Amino acid sequence: MIVALLIIHALLAVTLLGAITHQTISVWLPMRKTAGSFVGRMRSVPAGSYVNAIIVLYLITAILGGIIYPEYRLSIRVVLQQLRLNVPNGLFELKEHFVAVGLGMLPAYWYFWRQPLANDYARTRAVLTAILAFIVWWSFLVGHILNNIRGFEV
Amino acid sequence: MNTSRSFPVFAVVFAVVWAVTYVIAVQKNYALFTYHPALEEFGLLVEKPKEGPAMYWYGWLATAGIAALAAGLIACFVPERVTQRLWSGWSWTIPLGVMLVFGYLLKGYFLR
Repeated sequence: MIVALLIIHALLAVTLLGAITHQTISVWLPMRKTAGSFVGRMRSVPAGSYVNAIIVLYLITAILGGIIYPEYRLSIRVVLQQLRLNVPNGLFELKEHFVAVGLGMLPAYWYFWRQPLANDYARTRAVLTAILAFIVWWSFLVGHILNNIRGFEV
Repeated sequence: MNTSRSFPVFAVVFAVVWAVTYVIAVQKNYALFTYHPALEEFGLLVEKPKEGPAMYWYGWLATAGIAALAAGLIACFVPERVTQRLWSGWSWTIPLGVMLVFGYLLKGYFLR
């Protein structure tokens, strides 16, 4: 059951990662003309259309992470401590706190992306998006590293 | 209270209070409840580990959530002439600062 939830958690995280990366790139490196290349098309996506999906994915991924978290505390963290793997342990500690901080930013993120977009909030919108993107990337990479260390333990 | 005018105030205050309360809750261990994963039991407020570790993270989230919700709702009733001056950037500067504080608090994991 935990393995299935872990895989679903990872799949949702990949989807979230894709959505927020697209949005962040299109906010910070917008494409004015019609794009022809792969990178150009990524830069020219309508950033606002990702907002609701990102919020829902963030919440569901965090809830699923919270459900499988006790298993990590019982089976994985103990092993990391016994092997004195302080860096991966610390990376995960940061992950849990970053995700928590990100949860508190979601109402503001939703509001400042509300249509029609207000020019006054352009910087706030861009920075909120970048911070959430950083949190999502950090969480994804740390989760991936820890999974590689411990595996599924099947 | 005008809901459409109040929401930006609520959202900014919520983000700020959530981040600040969360870091204080973690640092001082003000968890609203404790979870004992080995026993699959919840306990009110902070409890010592019983069998296996005790988890406070959910309790810290609850503490931060309630404080942020209360502060956000109270801020909605503050007169508009006051809230007009509220800078939208607080919604990201304070959370970003709190993330940096966590990096500092947890530096021991990376320096030993």
